[in-house]
Amino acid sequence: MPPLLVAIAALLGVTVFRPPTSVAQLAPPTPPTPDAARATFQRDCAVCHGADATGTSRGPSLQGVGRAAVDYELTTGRMPLLPNFRTARSPENQPPLGQVLPAPSAASRQRPPAYPPALIAALEDYIASIAPGGPDIPQVDLAQADLATGGELYRLQCAACHEWAGVGGALYQREAPGLHGVTPTQVAEAMIVGPGQMPKFGPPAVPADQVSNVAGYVEYLGHPDNRGGNPLWYIGPVAEGAVTILVGLGAVVLVSRWIGDRS
Amino acid sequence: MTPPEAPLGEQSHERRDEIVVSVGFWVAALAAIGLGIVYWRGGQPQLEGLLLAVGAAGLAAGMVTWAHRLLPKGPEVEGRQVFTDEAGSGDESTLESDLSRGGAISRRRLILRSLGASAAAFGAALLFPLRSLGPRPSDAELNDSPWTPGKRLVSTDGMPVLAYEVPVNGLVTVFPDGALDSETGQAVLVRVDPSLVRPLPGRESWSPQGFIAYSKLCTHAGCPVGLYEASTNQLLCPCHQSTFDVLRGAKPIFGPAAAPLPQLPLAIDADGVIRATGNFSEPPGPSFWNRRQ
Repeated sequence: MPPLLVAIAALLGVTVFRPPTSVAQLAPPTPPTPDAARATFQRDCAVCHGADATGTSRGPSLQGVGRAAVDYELTTGRMPLLPNFRTARSPENQPPLGQVLPAPSAASRQRPPAYPPALIAALEDYIASIAPGGPDIPQVDLAQADLATGGELYRLQCAACHEWAGVGGALYQREAPGLHGVTPTQVAEAMIVGPGQMPKFGPPAVPADQVSNVAGYVEYLGHPDNRGGNPLWYIGPVAEGAVTILVGLGAVVLVSRWIGDRS
Repeated sequence: MTPPEAPLGEQSHERRDEIVVSVGFWVAALAAIGLGIVYWRGGQPQLEGLLLAVGAAGLAAGMVTWAHRLLPKGPEVEGRQVFTDEAGSGDESTLESDLSRGGAISRRRLILRSLGASAAAFGAALLFPLRSLGPRPSDAELNDSPWTPGKRLVSTDGMPVLAYEVPVNGLVTVFPDGALDSETGQAVLVRVDPSLVRPLPGRESWSPQGFIAYSKLCTHAGCPVGLYEASTNQLLCPCHQSTFDVLRGAKPIFGPAAAPLPQLPLAIDADGVIRATGNFSEPPGPSFWNRRQ
């Protein structure tokens, strides 16, 4: 092979087969510093909640909401929200973090969290430093949870909105999300914080020693011990009644035909 | 010509079917009498339902057996008339015998008697509910919830509700102290921002520090009004979506309920315990004909 071709091939090889990523990108992510949390807050949160977390005309104050509320909103992906105008992509061509509300009065939906867990923890620390007070993240111990007691409380306090099987949406066009796939900590946080339309269930409604029981029961609803049969999407008496009418009335029609049959 | 007799086996079958039919009717009659007695003695829904079902089943069994086994079966073919002097008499007697044998009317005295008994018993039993239409209950009878002035509000575990334990936008289902299983006494306690409350005239002092309590029984059909939307301050009923405005005396603003939820007057004592200062503003439970709006 002539030396010239070898040189050209070597040049092509160098050009085409460059290492795909730099060494820095392959390194494990370093834990976010307080500065990183502060920068993230200023970039994604301060536009509505204010740089000092006292709220603006676009969003509520965070003073006294507590670490439980921040953790709930960030780990369920309900925050951050995006202002409609901010749709620019990141330098890595990623879509912006967070969700855009379809209407100003719409409720934010559950979605994968926008930040990694370490950054969420750092953000909680930062927000707690500029907005002190409020409830801390509750400790949930599922190993000791009493499902029967938790189920009683669930049916009394939660089932009216979140539906008896936890699939959510008991009322038409009212926000009551399904509870399958949420973590027990998020359930406990929601009871204390009362996010969105949800009322707060303080100690008289759900005593502090019952929080783990209710969270355990919600966890159980994600994979209930069914006795067989088709659950019919757990939407309750309407679907079951429809099946009963079809099967039951069908049987009645058949019996009537037999009675009227004269042969 | 002698009228043709039915075969012996067929006759005994008929006799048996007659007995089955009349036994069905007699069972219905006895069940109806039992139903009347149970109703008269105060009523017991499960037993009444069972007796009604037995009665209806007895009637149905009797009638179906009668129709299938005893009534003449078609198709009937009228024999061609034979044009001779002596002809016809044989045909007439056959028809007569058929009518009297298979006919539903004349020979079935056993059946008719039992059918009449069951009809009379059912008719009498169905007259008894007329007694329940009166007399008109008094307001005091309807408003017999266990709330009395000074009664503490307790949560489902029987502990008194302390004002400082309930956060703003908090929701608690409360009962009168000592009556945890009371149906008419159950209430929802909501804490709202006091500046938002628009109390009805005469109820200005009923919601101290933004604590408001209403009967938990929907005024439409008596379902538990357990849904509270914190941002709109609305209580909702899960059954038919009746919506009540907590800030304005639980005025119904959507759905089939026409009357507001009865409000419970509240006061907070020196120890921070929430107490009722009287009974509900109206009788709790589903609306009735003369309920005041």
